[in-house]
Amino acid sequence: MYKGFRSESFTAWAFMAPGLLFLAVFTFWPIIYGVPLSLTDYSVIAETNYVGLDNFTRAFQDHNFLISLWNSLVYVLIVPVIQIISILMAILVNSRIPGVKMFRAAYYIPVVTSMVAVALIWSWLLGNNGVVNYLLLKAGIISEQVSWLSTSSTALYVLMFITMWKGLGYYMMLYLAGLQGIPADLYEAARVDGAGPLRLIVHVTLPLLRPHILFCTLISVMGAIRVFDEVYILTKGGPGTSTLTSSVYIFQKGLEQFNFGYASALGLIVSVMVGALSVLVFRLNRKGGVNSY
Amino acid sequence: MPRSLRVLITYLLLILLALFMMGPFLWLLSVSLMPGRNVFANPPAILPTFIAFDNYVQVWNFMNFPRYILNTVIITLLGVVFNIILSCLTAYPLAAFRFKGRNLVFTLLISTMIIPSATAMIVHYLTIQAFQLGNTFFGVVLPAAVSVFNIFLMRQTFLGIPADIRDSGKMDGASELRIFIQLVMPLVKPGIAVIGLLEVMAFWNNFLWPIVVLDDPEKYPLAAALTYLNGQFSYNFGWIAAGTMISVLPIILVFLFTQKYYMEGIAGAIKG
Repeated sequence: MYKGFRSESFTAWAFMAPGLLFLAVFTFWPIIYGVPLSLTDYSVIAETNYVGLDNFTRAFQDHNFLISLWNSLVYVLIVPVIQIISILMAILVNSRIPGVKMFRAAYYIPVVTSMVAVALIWSWLLGNNGVVNYLLLKAGIISEQVSWLSTSSTALYVLMFITMWKGLGYYMMLYLAGLQGIPADLYEAARVDGAGPLRLIVHVTLPLLRPHILFCTLISVMGAIRVFDEVYILTKGGPGTSTLTSSVYIFQKGLEQFNFGYASALGLIVSVMVGALSVLVFRLNRKGGVNSY
Repeated sequence: MPRSLRVLITYLLLILLALFMMGPFLWLLSVSLMPGRNVFANPPAILPTFIAFDNYVQVWNFMNFPRYILNTVIITLLGVVFNIILSCLTAYPLAAFRFKGRNLVFTLLISTMIIPSATAMIVHYLTIQAFQLGNTFFGVVLPAAVSVFNIFLMRQTFLGIPADIRDSGKMDGASELRIFIQLVMPLVKPGIAVIGLLEVMAFWNNFLWPIVVLDDPEKYPLAAALTYLNGQFSYNFGWIAAGTMISVLPIILVFLFTQKYYMEGIAGAIKG
């Protein structure tokens, strides 16, 4: 018995070895190596020195970094909006009517398309002479053309909108899966008790979607803080620093200016922040309890 | 409210939402078929006055599309094959074996999902340079050769396989590897299809990491080449629209033909 267990253990590790090796190099190592790297002034141009916590003190005096943190926090505001809209979408595409599957697929297409393509399309739609301005002018919502992506006061919100638009289908599918797991008798029972459509949603649907809401909130919080592609393609953080998010700033410091040490320190600070936010989300949903797959 | 009215309202909402989600793509399609530069017209042209494929022909002749498509296919294939093999191998023992350290491995894997490594890309860059894989397709693929997400998805799939299968294989004297390849793997084809699809989309759409790793634009995959096209020809909407359509159509087609598996897979990623 004992011998069998031990050989099973050996086989298990042998199976996992290749995958774990890759994870060690490309998933664990960056987390581990980021720490010593953040204590140096490592860059490609000069000799590397140990600088202690200098990078961290510098970070908290770095005006642009603080702005980027703030912008990332503002970005997190899309999280509740995404949850509300995608739950409503899921309820809508959960209707048992002909052709509804076609609509599900249509809503999912932005998810599978590359961010480069999505960003290109929206940058045109949002251009000065673009379709969005045209429609809003026609509808009388705005009185003159707005340069949505090159105006400091609108750029960040426009990017948030694009991120949301691209992601809605994904969250819709996750919520749809949750909805389909809710037994129909529960609705029947509630209906017999005289509950209307709104009360069904509030008293049956939402409580039973709780684990899904927790999961989707968590991944969208992380996604919002990590947001990179759309910002990098569309505004590179500008105009000024109005859309500078932390990932974009870290990328600029690290892979554009090659300040690997400093960028690692910034990365660590942001990681701690995300960790804290995740814990917060868990706390707020303490009753929910997430099941790790 | 009578049922027919409710259905009518539902369809109305579905169509409005479809316009919101699909409108930008339909407009892109429309622009790509517009002759000349009437995108710049004011008011903006929403529908082409007549349909022409000039943009497609011109941009295809201008950019080396076969080259970029080949690059993308190679990168995607490599990425998918690595992911399928590595995540199946890693997930199988986590689901089927009892061994010391199982919980440790599991906890380690989960912790990587909670702690995002914003620095990962920088360290990946250094690692790839150290392995002398800069400017190679392997350099593009290896950092994403296996993902924790896929391991979890496959573990869940393997958990659904009855233990009897493995026992019966053992009775017949088959080795663990043989049991895995000949008995277990055929049973998890749907799971493999799901992670395969997820990775096809991830690698097909990847643009940033390839730009970081590859010095030579001739090696760029489609999405990366598109940013290049946009930088060079920001004045020629029609061309960029056609180029963008060429790059997104394959992935949309793949999705439409496989959406059943794909959506089940996404749904299976969380168990409430």
